[in-house]
Amino acid sequence: MEERYYHQWLQNMKNLTARYAQKLLQRFPEPRELLDAPENWLEEILPPAQFRELLERRREVRTVYGMQEEYERLMEKGIRFVSCHEKTYPRRLLEIPDPPVGLYYRGSLPGRDALSVAVIGSRECSEYGVYIARELGAFLGRRGVDVVSGMARGIDGISQQAALEAGGASYGVLGSGVDICYPASNRSLYDSLIDRGGILSTYSPGTPAAGRNFPARNRIVSGLTDALVVVEARVKSGTLITVDMALEQGREVYVVPGRVTDRLSDGCNRLLKQGAGVFLDPESFLEELEELAFLKKIKPERSDEEKNEEGESGRKHWPTAEVFSWSRNTPRDMEEELVPVWEQLDLTPKSLEEIGGALGGRYSAAELGVLLLRLVMTGRAKQISAGHFCRL
Amino acid sequence: MYSTILSGALLGVNACLVQVEVDAASGLPAMSMVGSLSGEVRESRERVWAAMKNMGLEIPPKHITVNLSPADLKKEGTAYDLPIVVGMLEALGYFPAGKARDILFLGELGLNGEIRQVRGVLPIVREAAKIGVREFIVPKENAGEGAVIPDVKVRGAATMGEVLGFLMADAAERGAILPAQDAAGWPTAEGAEGPGYDFAEVKGQEMAKRAAKIAAAGFHNLLMIGTPGAGKSMIAKRIPGILPPLTLEESLEVTSVYSVAGNLDGKSLLTKRPFQAPHHTISMPALMGGGVVPRPGVISLAHRGVLFLDELAEFPRVVLDGLRQPLEDRRIQIARVGGNLIYPSDFMLVCAMNPCPCGFYPDRGRCRCTEPQIRRYTGKISGPILDRIDLCTELQAVDVSSLHRESGGETSAQIRSQVERARKMQEERFQGTEYRFNGDVKAADIDRFCPLEKEDRRFMEETYAKMGLSARSYHRVRKVARTIADLAGEDRIHREHLLEAVLFRPAQEYWK
Repeated sequence: MEERYYHQWLQNMKNLTARYAQKLLQRFPEPRELLDAPENWLEEILPPAQFRELLERRREVRTVYGMQEEYERLMEKGIRFVSCHEKTYPRRLLEIPDPPVGLYYRGSLPGRDALSVAVIGSRECSEYGVYIARELGAFLGRRGVDVVSGMARGIDGISQQAALEAGGASYGVLGSGVDICYPASNRSLYDSLIDRGGILSTYSPGTPAAGRNFPARNRIVSGLTDALVVVEARVKSGTLITVDMALEQGREVYVVPGRVTDRLSDGCNRLLKQGAGVFLDPESFLEELEELAFLKKIKPERSDEEKNEEGESGRKHWPTAEVFSWSRNTPRDMEEELVPVWEQLDLTPKSLEEIGGALGGRYSAAELGVLLLRLVMTGRAKQISAGHFCRL
Repeated sequence: MYSTILSGALLGVNACLVQVEVDAASGLPAMSMVGSLSGEVRESRERVWAAMKNMGLEIPPKHITVNLSPADLKKEGTAYDLPIVVGMLEALGYFPAGKARDILFLGELGLNGEIRQVRGVLPIVREAAKIGVREFIVPKENAGEGAVIPDVKVRGAATMGEVLGFLMADAAERGAILPAQDAAGWPTAEGAEGPGYDFAEVKGQEMAKRAAKIAAAGFHNLLMIGTPGAGKSMIAKRIPGILPPLTLEESLEVTSVYSVAGNLDGKSLLTKRPFQAPHHTISMPALMGGGVVPRPGVISLAHRGVLFLDELAEFPRVVLDGLRQPLEDRRIQIARVGGNLIYPSDFMLVCAMNPCPCGFYPDRGRCRCTEPQIRRYTGKISGPILDRIDLCTELQAVDVSSLHRESGGETSAQIRSQVERARKMQEERFQGTEYRFNGDVKAADIDRFCPLEKEDRRFMEETYAKMGLSARSYHRVRKVARTIADLAGEDRIHREHLLEAVLFRPAQEYWK
């Protein structure tokens, strides 16, 4: 228990990177030793700035009580801390280079058994991205796969929301303290993540969100997962930084292909050209992932013997009857006059004029608008703006 | 000697008569002017003095007193120069006493005796004619606007010499010296055509044209959202042309406002619906009216016409919020130390804006604005103004090839006749009420004027629930549905009218 306070103390040092923190832990497996370690030993390990910070912090804290107090104060607020020496520390993070010394979290930590997938992509995403993220998140949620992401606007949040709504678990890794909801517009997602998953962060509570925190955050996102799915990304995009880190960490990277003319898919298509895994549908993706996980022996309990041994104890069993298909919405029960209009709709928003033009001027603008609205009301279409519609 | 001459003062766009009294008595030579005069009226003394001297009219050493009555009314403007000089000439005996009786004088004087243009001739002539004044002498440039009033003689004078000659002559010769201006022709159907733009010139943009038609028919305010170059201003400019022609009464109102503002440019009677498109850097007084010498603002110049605010999001919030009262009351009250002025401002508000700062949303391939940026952009428009805009439509960028291909569709004249038909239905509906158009109806009277059948009511509730719309827009959607039904010539609001109104629902529904 006491050990945890020292880990927290170490984790709270602003300038100390995970790399040097891990070096310190190698030299001093008991972090309490750091308080009495000879200065020249520390100086050997740390660069000057980090060395100075450690000395300063060391001078401030000569007893463990201050640390304990702080720890308990956070506990009261529902904020937990786990150190890399503890059993509950996410096992996947231990595999990555320089895992963080500890993690703050609210809610719970990712379980050890379930597969874990990061769904990431652009904040300003298209309707296509929204659709894929939602379908994928919901599918993973239904199949008991953890969805990990950054709780950002756009793809991140949408996939997490969908996973939670489908009854799955999801974990959000923040670039701020776990007590800060960023972006504020995702407040309800933040609350339900605490309820049915967790909010994780390496930053001490109270740290405001800042741009420079996000690359380090992305490292944890990919570190927590078995595979990464990139839904939409421009060529210059933070998402691609996450992909680089995932590759460094040996994670599988899957990419949703897009049209070559879509700027929001440029980053994705480029990754595909470089040899990333092709994401065609959630079903085949999950199959491949389970296969790989088996090969990697990430899930040793997959062998029949062990399965029988474990029985109902740990893993849940998911119905496998579902066969995924993109074209689920075959309009069989649709009113006849709506069908031709519906067929013109796409995931990319189309303007009313475009749709009208494709139908060869069969309808006046007002008539067409009314037909489209009826599609919206029956849940077949979505009105993006005053004049734009897309399929749902 | 004592004399009294008729003149007039402006009160907003209304007017009242002013008596200019001149007394010339023996005493210490001086000229004093009283009667609650503003600076420019006081300066009149110097102009009158110099003009008389330059015309070779000697001013005898007398004590001259000029009083403008009613003395407690603040007198402004330069139109009193002419009545004052006429009064002096009479008091000093330059023409037989009584020759200027029952003639109303207006005009500014140059130092060489010429008579210069003034503002507000039409409203003064109109008011005086009601009281029974039949003869007017005004600056030549203003004669045309005065002459639109029936049964009066309005004579335009270029110099003071002409006026003096006129006053000295016998009744029989007078007409030859200063002929009465011909009455301007009344606006005919052709004369009331829109401002030279036709809807047939707008290619594509069926939705926006439809929205403009509905807006014109029910006097609803309209918001157009679209990428730059989509044709928002093109459509806005054509809206005055699909409104019914100005009636004579409306025409006089509009001309009065322009006359008071000094914007008449020698025209006699305005017969086209005004179209005002102020730039977004406009100041509050310029928009609302005001100034040291209060003048009507752009909203009053748009009276009975269209006020078009392009780049709505760029207008400062305070300026937009200032529109709330005029949109509600259809007139603007300007408070000054000297009293309150009221200018009419019964305009149709047409606004245009980009969907986002870059203008390409929702085309995510091109638009890189972040959601907070878009929210900030749309959030700049004040809610109370949006609450007064019933219709919202979106325009897409038009590619050049379609400009050649597509036919324009209905002409302005065709649309106007539909609008007029719809307005006739509203006239009958609102007879004996405070309302004129569907757009005016207040929330409390919606059930009375826009009734829905029971099942339609349920249908709307369902629609609102399914589409996640807010109750805030419900009344406005119903008013628009009423107008759509009027355009279709239907007494009852049908389901498709309601759905179409939902399609044009107010912008806030997208910006939540």
